[in-house]
Amino acid sequence: MKKLLTVATLLFASISAQAADELRLYNWNNYIAPETVQRFETFCKCKVVQTYYGDNEEMLAKLAAGAKGYDIIVPTGNALDALIKQQALLPLDKSQLPNLKNVNPAYLNTDFDKGNKYSVPYAYTVTLMGYNDQKMKELGIPVDSWAAIFDPKILAKIKGKVTVLDSANELMAAALKYLGYSANDTDEQHWQQAKDVIIKAKPYWAAFNGSSYIKELTVGDIWLAHGYSNDIFQADVDAQKAGRKFHIRHALPKEGAVLALDSMVIHKAAPRPDLALKFINFMLDGKNAAELSNLIGSGNPNADAAKYIKPEIANNPAIFPDKAGFAKLEMLKDLNSKQRRAVNRIWTEIRAR
Amino acid sequence: MTNVIRRPLGLWLVALAVYAFLYVPLVIVVVYSFNDSQLNAEWVGFTLDWYRKLFHNEEMLQAAGNSLMIALVASAVSTTLGTMAGFAMHRYRLKLLPLLVLTPIAIPEILVGVSLLIFFVMLNITLGLVSIALAHIAFCIGFVAIVVRSRLSGMDESLTEAARDCGATPMQAFRLVTLPLIMPGVVAGALMAFTLSIDDFVITFFTAGANASTLPLQIYSMIKIAVTPEVNAVSTLLMGLTLLLIIIASKLAPNAIRSS
Amino acid sequence: MNKVANEVANVVANKLPNTAAQRGRLARWLISGPPLFYLLLFFAIPSLIMVFASVRYAGDYGGLAPVFDEAGKLDLTLENFQRFTSDFIYTAIFLKSLMYAVITTCCCLLMAYPLALLIARSPKKYRDLLILLVILPFWSNFLIRVYAWMIILGPQSGLTQAVNYVLGLAGIEPVRLLFTGFAVIVGLVYVHLPFMVLPLYANLEKHDPALVDAAQDLGASAWQRFWRITFPLSLPGVYAGAALVFIPALGIFAVSDILGGTGSDMIGNVIKQQFLETRDWPFGSVLSIVLTVAALIAAGIAVLVARPRRGA
Repeated sequence: MKKLLTVATLLFASISAQAADELRLYNWNNYIAPETVQRFETFCKCKVVQTYYGDNEEMLAKLAAGAKGYDIIVPTGNALDALIKQQALLPLDKSQLPNLKNVNPAYLNTDFDKGNKYSVPYAYTVTLMGYNDQKMKELGIPVDSWAAIFDPKILAKIKGKVTVLDSANELMAAALKYLGYSANDTDEQHWQQAKDVIIKAKPYWAAFNGSSYIKELTVGDIWLAHGYSNDIFQADVDAQKAGRKFHIRHALPKEGAVLALDSMVIHKAAPRPDLALKFINFMLDGKNAAELSNLIGSGNPNADAAKYIKPEIANNPAIFPDKAGFAKLEMLKDLNSKQRRAVNRIWTEIRAR
Repeated sequence: MTNVIRRPLGLWLVALAVYAFLYVPLVIVVVYSFNDSQLNAEWVGFTLDWYRKLFHNEEMLQAAGNSLMIALVASAVSTTLGTMAGFAMHRYRLKLLPLLVLTPIAIPEILVGVSLLIFFVMLNITLGLVSIALAHIAFCIGFVAIVVRSRLSGMDESLTEAARDCGATPMQAFRLVTLPLIMPGVVAGALMAFTLSIDDFVITFFTAGANASTLPLQIYSMIKIAVTPEVNAVSTLLMGLTLLLIIIASKLAPNAIRSS
Repeated sequence: MNKVANEVANVVANKLPNTAAQRGRLARWLISGPPLFYLLLFFAIPSLIMVFASVRYAGDYGGLAPVFDEAGKLDLTLENFQRFTSDFIYTAIFLKSLMYAVITTCCCLLMAYPLALLIARSPKKYRDLLILLVILPFWSNFLIRVYAWMIILGPQSGLTQAVNYVLGLAGIEPVRLLFTGFAVIVGLVYVHLPFMVLPLYANLEKHDPALVDAAQDLGASAWQRFWRITFPLSLPGVYAGAALVFIPALGIFAVSDILGGTGSDMIGNVIKQQFLETRDWPFGSVLSIVLTVAALIAAGIAVLVARPRRGA
């Protein structure tokens, strides 16, 4: 008991002593370059303390239960939607963000944050397909359409070598796009059609996998994966490093895909909103923003960053879609409680059969 | 003593097979910490790079240290409370305690995590390492209690009674007679509590603060970006360190940990 | 003066436990009190908050809707429970999880028992080390241990190729080991094995060798000695181990997330989804209540069956 009290007091003491000049960043792991963090620490003469989450929903659940103490959070589109609707964010003081002008206007003024009252774009990824180019060529599989994942005739050739994301929202969006509907379609009938498409294709899939498909692609156990553009970029980098004879390429389906835009926001109970604003402005500088793209191959909404990004990444149409590709991308909107239940019911049925 | 002889060859073979089952994945983990490849997928070549990277990774080391500290505190407290609970459940006809002891094991972690978070927020308890430790103790008590109780059941009460007849107070009887007899159960419970605490993710995620992390939190957050062999390296080190600590502890306090 | 002192002494003496019964009651509170209090404060009360959530509505964009609606009326509902009872799919998944948990517990028992027996019968100086060796692997991280199984069961691994070679000889199509129900069971058994070994060991360690010796002198065979003496004596350990494996295995989700294929969802996965992607805490709470109650009933049955013949 005594030991516990001493430990507790020491911890409390150390915590309160450091609260002075700390920026608490709640972010995805490996979603900011270490050099950027160090440079910011020197710039602001403060310390950046990072904690991580691996999934938007985990972060949302924690905040919904009342967790406090975070300054900056980096939610994805529909999670940002949810946070704004829950009134969990601090409005941004634009006067402190002169670098905001660097952002490509195409990524500003999204449906859920008109006028960017609460958020500033940070990075984006596209949910598409990654494939083993050697195998797909060998088997003559067209990778320009979601049919590669949903059409049983095509799937028969690659049975057991395909994985899809284990997110209900992403998979339903892909199926809806395949059927020609919008990814944000909330028509119950269309959802049932999407469900049928998924169930028909399911026997050919190896697994619902949101995390280790990079490794599986690189090793060659999986030949086609439904995944995120930066993950697929990483898979190819790893494959080349491991000396594989094939490349892992991106395929942006012609029916369109989902754009996941991550933004920086300030939590309404942030201990240091001043440091947070400094950080956001710092990250809006082109050079700093580019470091992330170069590190993990994420898309960059910062127009000023373009000149600092490595050419092989900047010229990759799946990471930086051109105008035509961009027109087919949609951001996922958040659903209300009734709709989420309906989707989950469908998802449970898909997973149980 | 003749007990020791009754270990027929068949028993040896099966036991060794089970040890192999337990260790093959571990061997892979340790070996791949020296693997010259980012993926945890196949052997490429030998390197100490991951250990080098680890020593520069302050965050990961801090998280590992936090995990160790929390696990030590949590297992110490929960073993004490759990032994008391196990003893009480064996000795007295209690109704509430057995239920309270068993339910944390049954109830899904995610529910416990969310409810503890709401509870801490309601009481305005600052989230941090202490909140994590408090949460861990809560779910470890049950494991210790069940093992201690099962060790006690069927135990020969005559020894304790004899001690009391010789004039020992209940406290002395417990300390000098009962406790040594149930020690393997207590140690087994402590080992389980330590293991549960050091590897817990779900409850820790919800009760952790904004400025401190544990090793499972670090590692699980890497799940989307592929877990690098740095994780293998830190796991190998943590295992080695813990083993070392236990061996040192058993040499320093042989009476406390010896089996009888 | 003396009279007052005597009075005080009497009062004090009456308040202190001086009868055996009173001392017994005090001891009972001293021993069961701290764990009881701790669990009430840091487990029971928080959990009741979420159990209460099962009769509330979900918040529109997350969390829970307020208990009182705008008009100040109590805004509660039983629809979450109705959803569980009216929709068979949840019960079906639940039964599947039950099956997985039972299989896992049996496999763990079969594998843990010989190991625990061997360690318990080893010379004293090796026992501690052998038990430590059992639990040592579990101080590495859960995730990478399970990832190691992805390597062992992967299509390019030695094991898979060996299995398929043997199957090929028998004319059977090659099978996949990873992303199947089999992989999930292997993972579940692996993750829970030490929690069967430790309680079994704690029990077997105290067996008196003299009993087995006596049986041998009376002519019992090795199997009879085991089945009629050792095993019955070890039953409390078996039940403890079974409880510590079966109950957690019912609610686990991580193993099937990583090693499972497209049909391996367990009730733990469904509950997790309610708290995360669906943000339907009330329904998640309902499913959790059902799971907990079922687990407690199973444990209760085991306790009744295991009650020792002499009174507790």
